[in-house]
Amino acid sequence: MTAFLAAHSKLIDQIGINALLALSLSVSLQAGQLALAQAAFMGIAGYVGAIGAVQRGWPLWESMLAGALASALAAAVLALPIGRLRGVFLAIATVGFGEIARTVENNLPITGGAEGLSGIPDDASTPWIYGTLIAVGCVIAAASRSKFALAVAATREDEGAARGVGIDTARVRFCTLTFGGLVAGLAGVLYAHANFFIAPGDFGFGRMEQILVACVIGGVTSSLGALVGATLMTVLPEFIRFLADFRDVTSGAILLGIVLFAPRGIAGLWKRGGRA
Amino acid sequence: MILQQILNGIVLGAVYALFALGYTLVFGVLDILNLAHAAIFTAAAFTALALAARGMPLPLAFAAAVALAGFAGILLDRVAFAPLRARNAGTLAPLISSIGAGIVIVGILRGVFGPDEHRFALGTAGDAQLHAGPLTFGVIDLVVVVTALVFMLALSYVMRATPLGRNIRAVADDRIAASLLGVDLERTIALTFFIASALGGAAGILIGLQYNSVSVEMGSRIELKGLAVIVLGGMGSITGAVVGAFILGAVETLSVAFISSSYRDAVAFGVMFAILVLRPRGLFGKRALRTA
Amino acid sequence: MQGKLVWSTALAAVLAAAPALGANSVAGKTVKVGVIADTSGAAGAYGSAQKNAYALAADDIKAGLLDAGGATIVFDVQDAASDPAQVVNLTQKFATDGSALLVGPTLSAEAKKADPIAVRAGLTILATSNTAEGITAMGPCVFRNSLAEAQVVPEAVAAAVAKWKPKTAAIIYGDDNQFTKTDYDIFQAALQKAHVELVDVETYHTGDVDFKAQLTKIAAKRPDVLVVGSLVEEAAKIVTQAKQVGLNAHVIGGNGLNSPKFMELAGGAAEGVVIGAAYFIGNSSPGNRAFVERYTKRFGAGPDQFAAQSYAAAQIVAHAVKEGATTSDALCAAFKRATSVPTVLGPVGFEASRDVRAPSAILEVMHGAFTAFK
Repeated sequence: MTAFLAAHSKLIDQIGINALLALSLSVSLQAGQLALAQAAFMGIAGYVGAIGAVQRGWPLWESMLAGALASALAAAVLALPIGRLRGVFLAIATVGFGEIARTVENNLPITGGAEGLSGIPDDASTPWIYGTLIAVGCVIAAASRSKFALAVAATREDEGAARGVGIDTARVRFCTLTFGGLVAGLAGVLYAHANFFIAPGDFGFGRMEQILVACVIGGVTSSLGALVGATLMTVLPEFIRFLADFRDVTSGAILLGIVLFAPRGIAGLWKRGGRA
Repeated sequence: MILQQILNGIVLGAVYALFALGYTLVFGVLDILNLAHAAIFTAAAFTALALAARGMPLPLAFAAAVALAGFAGILLDRVAFAPLRARNAGTLAPLISSIGAGIVIVGILRGVFGPDEHRFALGTAGDAQLHAGPLTFGVIDLVVVVTALVFMLALSYVMRATPLGRNIRAVADDRIAASLLGVDLERTIALTFFIASALGGAAGILIGLQYNSVSVEMGSRIELKGLAVIVLGGMGSITGAVVGAFILGAVETLSVAFISSSYRDAVAFGVMFAILVLRPRGLFGKRALRTA
Repeated sequence: MQGKLVWSTALAAVLAAAPALGANSVAGKTVKVGVIADTSGAAGAYGSAQKNAYALAADDIKAGLLDAGGATIVFDVQDAASDPAQVVNLTQKFATDGSALLVGPTLSAEAKKADPIAVRAGLTILATSNTAEGITAMGPCVFRNSLAEAQVVPEAVAAAVAKWKPKTAAIIYGDDNQFTKTDYDIFQAALQKAHVELVDVETYHTGDVDFKAQLTKIAAKRPDVLVVGSLVEEAAKIVTQAKQVGLNAHVIGGNGLNSPKFMELAGGAAEGVVIGAAYFIGNSSPGNRAFVERYTKRFGAGPDQFAAQSYAAAQIVAHAVKEGATTSDALCAAFKRATSVPTVLGPVGFEASRDVRAPSAILEVMHGAFTAFK
């Protein structure tokens, strides 16, 4: 068992980080917001934390603090102009934000541009990653018992009606986006400190797609679903490695199969008996 | 030089418009963002390439590949979207489903054709460059621009003046009411996919000819820009898709010419972002949107 | 007394035979080499060429065309799908499954994330296509047999400038790819040294197909030379479109253009392009002609630089195994000793920095084929 863990420690770390990312998106999705800027927030925080660690010798917790603050701030700032956007328009606007962020990261001298940022200390150990995941999970679990969670669900189901009963849907959207930005930021710094090196391409549309797929596979309305989805998507390429050249066709088919047979995600299969 | 750059922008815009037309049609009718559109775009290009390589004359290969793309679109709907429609699965599930279908299609193409870049045989499209005063453009560039406009006009005509078009618009407006009024839903949707995918396929072949480049990655390069275009133009609006495409082409080209090629994408997406902030439904978008 | 004489003679005989016995001691042994190549995804074309080369090398070893001292070398080629996460997982796998060597990964950005894992586990690394700075510095057993742009471009620029005597130049390069961005840095420095004025610099993004905007802008400045800092797919389109917008400058590029695909995709627009490269397909090193023939026959197209550098890596590994190295540490020591291993690239050795020492080439495209530039 310990040999297995040792041989797969990086994979286990990746699961943890991807789970954090999926959670960060899930929070927005549960409010009905297809806000696809998680990869960008991850990148902003990752760079802030990594630059601090490399140039000023910040320890991991300081990187995480600075990075998460930066990404939360970016999310808060982004929340204002996108306030009136809905559905796919919101999705594309946020993806556009991600492309802008990536271009800026590619051109600023301090980030190293296309050559990337090397020499990031390898101090994001597994306990740190899973500790953060558990902490975030607890916060979300606690929040899901609060009135805020009801406001979130109401905003998702029917925004007009929610406003009609006095729920401040703008505040719901703002809070979920900012919180999502914060969590994605934590994941971003952990990612940087687990990979020695980051480049702008790590935080582009491809990454965003991966996070979105993980959430939908797991179940959009469920945080647990996000965790399941992230785990599955991270582990899948390694599990089917033996298929060699047929790997990508197989993973596409698996993705298709899961969505067709469980359109509400894996968590949806679980909860089919009705929600509490 | 500025005139030439404007012309470059128009040609680039036509490329985006060709791709966006099929995208926006499906989007408008079914609220589905079909991310497998790019895969069918690629598949048609490879099909035409393979047929032409076996000696089929280009116009015939083009027609055959476009028809094949149309049927592929119908198949795609049957496999990836129809089951979800039957279950009222919302708008996110079809999105992911289309991602999966796209991966499968591209995977098959890679298995058959390999990951390398290919091109149509030298001289297929003709390299002739035309000159009009100080401006230069290729014959194929002219074909692409004209085709984009012809497709837009033809599609608008079909939508406005034919029974099929009326049915499609009815389904787009209110699916339930349309079926209550006797519109054959599944047949209309299938035809919508046929048209949209045929358009996408035509785009793939033309772009493959224009840039002498057919590869399994060609779809993913243009996909993001295509999304920006249809959102900019407004959901389901054909005019919007074309106008949005030309705006994007112009913004990209002019930002290279006058700002910096390094910030080209940032400027393009920034402009798109700004327009959305001012008009949250896109330039020509009219209807309210069902949320996720 | 006689017994002692017999004993000593026998002992002497055994000791004399020992080196010969030692050299044959790899016969029958199996050396597992983990290869990480992107055979799908954005870098799929490059990784596939690499995979082809290893397949060819493995068969050549079995057929005795490549001498590994009777040992079997297993190239376990795994696809990382151009995904850094998979590269990391594969590296960890190879670091813990008894592999004696890690070859690859395809991209420098991937290597920077994954090599430290192998270094920590004491696995020797031989990079065949990583050209960024700082790769070999990652560990005492990280080697590289790919000449970086910094090693091939300055000579090529000097030779081209001597022949063309240009006054002005423009550069177009990919700004979001470490390889092409390095091209810009090095070409710019080389041009400055040659007193050629840089009149315009334009960038593009990996995957772009339309360069008319940038090329129109460059054409308006009428440079004598156009530098293309790019990989083959974009380069082919750039030279084609340059001709289309009426930009008739001499064209020069780096390693990225060194592929028969360049002529295939660009057709006539490739004529006269000069390339600073790490491999000349027509070079006369022993075994190169035969390699090119075998590769072309088996895979339907000539080997590009990725394939050649991968095959050369296989040759370096076979050479080290033949000398008796079958473990990671032994391979590291053998590479350090290597001064002139015959490969399809020419004679290859490693510097103290573990970077490669190999001949570079300056090529020109003439009549659709690479020839030596004069």
